[in-house]
Amino acid sequence: MGTSHSQGLAPARKYVRPLPEDTWDSIAARELTQLPAADASGVLQSWNFHVFMRPAPPEDSPRAGNPILPSDIIFLEPPAAAT
Amino acid sequence: MLDLVIKNGRVVDGSGLPSYTGDVGIKDGRIVRVGRVTEAATTTVDAQGKVIAPGFIDPHTHFDAQLLWDGAAKPAIEHGVTTIVPGNCSLSLAPLKEEHRMKLVGMFNQIEEMPLKAFEQGVVWDWETFEEFVARISKDLTVNVAPLVGHSVLRLWVMGNESMHRCATPEETAKMQELLRECLAAGAIGLSTSFVDSDEKLQPVPSRYADEIELDALCEVLSEHGRLLQIVHEFYDADLTVARVDQLANLSLKHGITTTLSPLFVNADDNGAVDKVMNRVREQMAAGARVWPQVQTRPIDISFCFEVPSLLFIRLPSWYAIMRFGTHEEIVASFADLERRPALIAEAEKNNMNALWARLTLRQVQTDANQSLVGKTLQEIADMRGQGLIEAMIELSLEEDLQAHFLSGDMGHNDNAKVGELLADPFVHIGASDGGAHILSFSTYGDTGYLFANFVREQSALGLEAAVKKITLDTANIWGLNDRGQLREGFAADVTVFDPATIDRGPEYYVQDVPGDGSRYVRDAMGINTVVIGGEIAYTETGGYTDSRRGQVLPGPLQRP
Repeated sequence: MGTSHSQGLAPARKYVRPLPEDTWDSIAARELTQLPAADASGVLQSWNFHVFMRPAPPEDSPRAGNPILPSDIIFLEPPAAAT
Repeated sequence: MLDLVIKNGRVVDGSGLPSYTGDVGIKDGRIVRVGRVTEAATTTVDAQGKVIAPGFIDPHTHFDAQLLWDGAAKPAIEHGVTTIVPGNCSLSLAPLKEEHRMKLVGMFNQIEEMPLKAFEQGVVWDWETFEEFVARISKDLTVNVAPLVGHSVLRLWVMGNESMHRCATPEETAKMQELLRECLAAGAIGLSTSFVDSDEKLQPVPSRYADEIELDALCEVLSEHGRLLQIVHEFYDADLTVARVDQLANLSLKHGITTTLSPLFVNADDNGAVDKVMNRVREQMAAGARVWPQVQTRPIDISFCFEVPSLLFIRLPSWYAIMRFGTHEEIVASFADLERRPALIAEAEKNNMNALWARLTLRQVQTDANQSLVGKTLQEIADMRGQGLIEAMIELSLEEDLQAHFLSGDMGHNDNAKVGELLADPFVHIGASDGGAHILSFSTYGDTGYLFANFVREQSALGLEAAVKKITLDTANIWGLNDRGQLREGFAADVTVFDPATIDRGPEYYVQDVPGDGSRYVRDAMGINTVVIGGEIAYTETGGYTDSRRGQVLPGPLQRP
């Protein structure tokens, strides 16, 4: 999660890198255990519009229905409030 | 007897130290004397009143295709640039199997806005490996070229179409490592990857399907030869950029490599965003990582006409689809369709975009009837015609057979104080010009002149010596070009002579000089007196380009034991 040598660095928004077959549901189930399962995927999507809003993979794609890429950053919390 | 001496100039040697009056002597492609040169030379350049500086290095370009028909990468050299880095953003023209050529052309067309016809008519495809590509471009080079190899291209070679669907297997990753080794041995300066770009079908480019294990494995290979990793990141979001800075820092620390991310823009609505990123860069640099954000000097301008898909319309899916996938006739028919028009207008007016449309300037038309409108804003034109903004833009485009060209000027990265502060920051790498790309959206030439004209002379954000250092020795050091970027005995003789009082970029204008009857926007240089590459004069202000072909591929093939 986040940077692997985070000692001494200022706190940054928490994120994970997806596993190869990850979906919204699988990430939410693994990372957002404090939220009700029914809500967790939606909350995760709301924190990750950069993934959620991207054009859907075509129907004939092995990835149809899943916009998450292995190289993505998936945030696990909302943006910090503006100061 | 020397080959060339440049005399009586103000020597700004690239080190950042104070300038002084002196000469530079050159023989056999190398600088042999800096200071007072008394030895005779075959050619003498009088640099009285001018600056003698190392040649400028442009670290973020997409001249890959242009180099196949223009080994000078015009007009880069006349702006004082002596070395360019193509192959950024995961896209290079090698290694590339025959069956993947059109796929790569599609990506270049979509991402870098390079015309398909230019590839069809300007490129003779006679290479597949990186070594063959290096040999191909080396035949006719005036400018020095330090080529990156693109991650998407490595994946295409090893995985074929599967590269656009999934992670690599361990065996495929090992093959990519071996292929990268071959590219580095043939002369690649590093690897580029992309976390944001989409192909011609608006699907992610192959590099975006790579997991952490694959990128880590490729960085292990970069580490073997001390080569660099370039990424294009989610530059529109500070939190995502900070995450990428951390990712690069981890790779840098683990493998001992230099990394660079581009571009980093100043957002006029949120200066805090760039501060957030720079604070992270400083932290990671202090921890020992090498993570260089690239910042361009020029503000963002975008020109467009309806004939060509423009990035300006990327957030208007109906508009973009018409321009991206339609033939000329289909585009005309779509915009002429009065039943469809209300929906198009509604889409264009969403998200408060009317302010942007109102400020558009009509920069070029082809009919006599509309010439009097050139130079007016779209708001002025709409008012004169009694039409709405979008209606006027569509009608004018139809009247001009899609050749009404509009300019959206000063769209961002235009806060002089903030951009100047960034450019002067020792943790910022000046670059991200995108030279050779987006050729019908904006001119990617002249950023160096603009650095001196705006940020040295007008804004005093940097001193002359500091600005020269930024685009010469700093760049050479970041990229491992160990004998470039400084006027120093033994260094390669890449030299730019310019007038510090007049150096600038000229106005942007439209030319038709791209293969396939293509067009582009360019800028002429101002105040560049003489450009020397590899010890020979490649360009002079009075005589233009010479026949010199002393450009090299850098750092060049690895020495085999």
